[in-house]
Amino acid sequence: MASQLTGPVYIVDARRSPQAKSGMDLKDVQAPYLGAYLVRKMLDNLGIPDDEVDEVIFGNTGSPAKYPNVGRVIALEAGLHKSTSGYTVHRNCASGLEAVSQAFLKVASGRSDVIVAGGVENMSQMPLIYSKEMTDLFMNVMKAKTMGDKLKALAAFRPPHLSPIIAIEQGLTDPFCGLNMGQTAEKLAREFDISREQQDTFANRSHHLALKAQEEGRFKDEIVPLAVGERLDKILSTDVGPRAGSTVEGLGKMRPYFEKKSGTVTVGNACPITDGGSAIVFMSEAALKKYNATPIARVVDYHFHGLEPERMGMGPLLAMDGVFRRTNMTLEQMDLIEVNEAFAAQALAVQMAMKDEKLAARFGVDKAWGEIADEKFNVNGGAIALGHPVGSTGSRLVVTLAHELKRRKAKYGVASLCIGGGQGGAVIIENLVK
Amino acid sequence: MSYKRISYEVKDKTAWVGFGFNCNKSMTVLDEQSLIELREIVERLHVESSKLEGVIFHSHKDRCFLAGADINLIDSMKTESEAADGAEQGQQIFNRIEDLSIPTVAAVHGVCVGGGTELVLSCKTIIASDDDATAFGLPEVKLGLIPGFGGTYRMPKRIGLPAALDLILTGKMVKGYKAKKLGLADETYPKENLLKMAPSFFTKSKKKESLKDQLGHFAADNFLSKKIIFQKARENVLSKTKGFYQAPLKILDVMEAGMMKGRSSYLSSESQAFGELCVGEQSKNLRHIFFMVEEAKKYPGPEASGSSPKLKRGAVLGAGTMGGGIAWLMADNGMAPLMKDLNPDGLVLGLKQSSKNFAESLKRRKMTQDEFERKQRSITCQLDNEGFDKVDLLIEAVVENMDIKKKVFADTEKYVRADTLLTSNTSSLSVEEMSKALEKPERFAGLHFFNPVHRMPLVEIITHSKVSPETLKALYEWVLKVKKTPVIVKDGPGFLVNRILMPYLNEAGFLLEEGVSVKDLDDACLNFGMPMGPCRLLDEIGIDVGVKVAHILHEGLGDRAMASNFSQKMVDKKWLGKISNIGFYKYDEKGKPAGDNEELSSLLPGKSKKMSETDIQMRVFLPMINEASIILSEGIVDRASTVDLGLIFGIGFPPFRGGLLKYADGEGLDRILDALDKYASDVNEHRYKASDFLKDLVQNKKKFYEI
Repeated sequence: MASQLTGPVYIVDARRSPQAKSGMDLKDVQAPYLGAYLVRKMLDNLGIPDDEVDEVIFGNTGSPAKYPNVGRVIALEAGLHKSTSGYTVHRNCASGLEAVSQAFLKVASGRSDVIVAGGVENMSQMPLIYSKEMTDLFMNVMKAKTMGDKLKALAAFRPPHLSPIIAIEQGLTDPFCGLNMGQTAEKLAREFDISREQQDTFANRSHHLALKAQEEGRFKDEIVPLAVGERLDKILSTDVGPRAGSTVEGLGKMRPYFEKKSGTVTVGNACPITDGGSAIVFMSEAALKKYNATPIARVVDYHFHGLEPERMGMGPLLAMDGVFRRTNMTLEQMDLIEVNEAFAAQALAVQMAMKDEKLAARFGVDKAWGEIADEKFNVNGGAIALGHPVGSTGSRLVVTLAHELKRRKAKYGVASLCIGGGQGGAVIIENLVK
Repeated sequence: MSYKRISYEVKDKTAWVGFGFNCNKSMTVLDEQSLIELREIVERLHVESSKLEGVIFHSHKDRCFLAGADINLIDSMKTESEAADGAEQGQQIFNRIEDLSIPTVAAVHGVCVGGGTELVLSCKTIIASDDDATAFGLPEVKLGLIPGFGGTYRMPKRIGLPAALDLILTGKMVKGYKAKKLGLADETYPKENLLKMAPSFFTKSKKKESLKDQLGHFAADNFLSKKIIFQKARENVLSKTKGFYQAPLKILDVMEAGMMKGRSSYLSSESQAFGELCVGEQSKNLRHIFFMVEEAKKYPGPEASGSSPKLKRGAVLGAGTMGGGIAWLMADNGMAPLMKDLNPDGLVLGLKQSSKNFAESLKRRKMTQDEFERKQRSITCQLDNEGFDKVDLLIEAVVENMDIKKKVFADTEKYVRADTLLTSNTSSLSVEEMSKALEKPERFAGLHFFNPVHRMPLVEIITHSKVSPETLKALYEWVLKVKKTPVIVKDGPGFLVNRILMPYLNEAGFLLEEGVSVKDLDDACLNFGMPMGPCRLLDEIGIDVGVKVAHILHEGLGDRAMASNFSQKMVDKKWLGKISNIGFYKYDEKGKPAGDNEELSSLLPGKSKKMSETDIQMRVFLPMINEASIILSEGIVDRASTVDLGLIFGIGFPPFRGGLLKYADGEGLDRILDALDKYASDVNEHRYKASDFLKDLVQNKKKFYEI
């Protein structure tokens, strides 16, 4: 029998960095620094001594060459004691959620009492890579002993060897089915018959809701301002992404990007490549008492599920189905639903399949969970406006969800995302702030 | 045979000579006894050399190889010839080391400066640990001296003339890695492997010079190039020291004249020069400062129980120029400060200041980009009180307003722990009054930094009636830890430094009104050795700030602290100094000086008066000495050396003069008193009214340093 999960898992603080499109304000902020300051800030507030964090877990997909284990670096940069264990997890777009799920398991099983988990991604800094031919050439030159041998090795050089491999482009292409992420969205748009206008309307909604949330200061509690700029003497405190002038007409003028001749997916109705970080402090019941901490939420449970890589966008359908079954809960119980907006087409397809038994059945889900009401769905906008820093979004959704549940004094919320490679992840949390 | 200070041991045909033997001080120095023993050991090595494969000089201490000659020994030299003789004796010992026929290896870990560096230079091979504790250097020039044990002779031979001049004229230290790069050390090793590797150099032949080095030496190693190098160095020294300092010029004389000399005649000119400088007033003054600084490393305040708490986390309230500077200091020292301000713009100002300070270290390669990022990012910017209960030391630097400060402290006290030290960076408000806002005033004190924080070494710790000794001690030790110089000062208008500075600035206004020109005034002070004349200094401080502080001092100290109206007139004209690009002088957008403010004369009576330089100097420095005597009589600080330390590190009073009161003592207090009396009747009876304290000193034929 599987080991019994014994205790409740509390979220006592949850924060994130402002998010900015790649190449913009956060481009020079190296990945660990997108997370470390959040950790320092939260632990300062909670008054937890620097040597009493059991584990620091961070999601990250870019794996910067300089920081192969970003999680541990974040622990140290945050000022935690050198004895603190730290590691990095990678589940593509859901890396941050994977970190959350590991924190959940470790605290629920009683193995850990205080865990910081989150995600960081600097997509601006993803490298260009030398081709295999060029790398081999370098190796041969290095191995060559005499000047003659070196010259001989160098003679193998041909100019095309210099054309770089763009790491981010490779990363966004599925190695199994060969489609890039945009193409998987095109596929869903075709199969679900989702029009260009529907997608653009969805994208426009995201921008307007995000802007409204900004104006009303709804992100103020969750965003910790960050020092930016070459000299680190500026402060960024809001997301750089939501566009005030966004209109459906304007979005309609953009050209399809992935299927240039007849497609419907544009960079306007897809999420932008983004930099950002997020972090959450989890505690056991015992730790709550020990540090006299007030929880803001409780993690109910999570679920991950796989599906065909070429329809990876439907991951949230399977993940939400899974987590509802696991917890004996229903869609109606959810006061808020966050589904990551990788692509408008993909998010729309998830909504459609959730309420349609036949569509759901195509993915092996034998139940229609119901309509995802507009007023519960991505209420402060989503990744199309705010961006999708791949390693962070999983935990970023939980941060935003926790704060919005708290603001509304609502009860349950689910956060879910599709995962490149053909998976979905979902987590349910319960607001504890009355 | 065994020795007391230096160990001598022969193992496997290797002689091991160890410094720091039986020594319980943290630094080993060459005192009289060790010099005697070293001489004996070296003579013995000559006798036994046929039985030995080599000699290794090492240290028994972890962080010190040899910290040079004992300064007390140097201080005891009374005449020029006695001092020259002392140097010669050391030279002879080092010559004998150089003349040993067997391999000599110095294995250096830890501080190896002055006589230490000179000793290892006489060895054939120098190897160094790569540890941060290892430092070579010839800092004699900082004490107004020339290295007297052959350092100026052997250093250029070892590392070439340009590099040697740089080391000798600046007195700077180099670590093991840099020493290797310079060619001073032959190799570096981890400290644990140093002694193991040392014997291997008995047989190792010197590495052949690289082509680049050969070319470099070829270029520098001829008469003409050397002439040019010396000329450049001389120009450099003159522009840096304005010709005030004798030692670097003397060093250049000895080294240049010695170019063609053999060892013995070179060394005798070196020891001669050492003798001259050693008994000169300048070196005495600089050594006086050295001893003051050493003394200041011990907490001098009321006895505190227990050991001081570690101040690990810091916080700054108010993120302006000062707040940002203090945040920089804390970040640089690993205190991950919280920086709070009322609005985001303020926080940006603070970040900018901190970044600017770090940029200087980056530029000078004292810091890597990664370190910069880590340290700058360790500053948490915030508008609220989150995380305050983690703070060990909080420094307030909000606007100079008593009510606001009191409010801030009363409020802040709710969010910090009971043992958090709370301090105010006020420069002009009463710390006693401020302490009343706190429920636990015993953990509160003034902590007055000078602007700009990263340049100014002085920090005044201001006491009040309820402060605990433990608080004072903890603050004192913290200031030392962040490499600043603390002075403990009782509360009072202007505390120590600004109060003594007051006449310097006030008299400037009066002198200008009497018709003395800005140029004559500032030049007279520059020629005294001050880093800035009063007009330039007022421009830096901000004329409006000066006026504000002058009012406070006038109110607190009475008519002797009266200021002229001149500054106020400038403020009315919006001539605020550097900040408004115009004050006594003009400035361009980058704040660089851009000539005189020609319109200044429109505010002046129109007469012009030529006053002698000495007269001008007397007019400004006499009331400063007088004010210092009042400060001593009031017990604001407890001794003359604290006044001098404060002025040297607080306003850059010329070090070669030994300090304001050292200077006064040297001039003769009776003459000072006479001059004051004269000015009291000729110029102003309040501003020049000699203090009773000064009169008493003269009456009892005492000096400030004899109190």
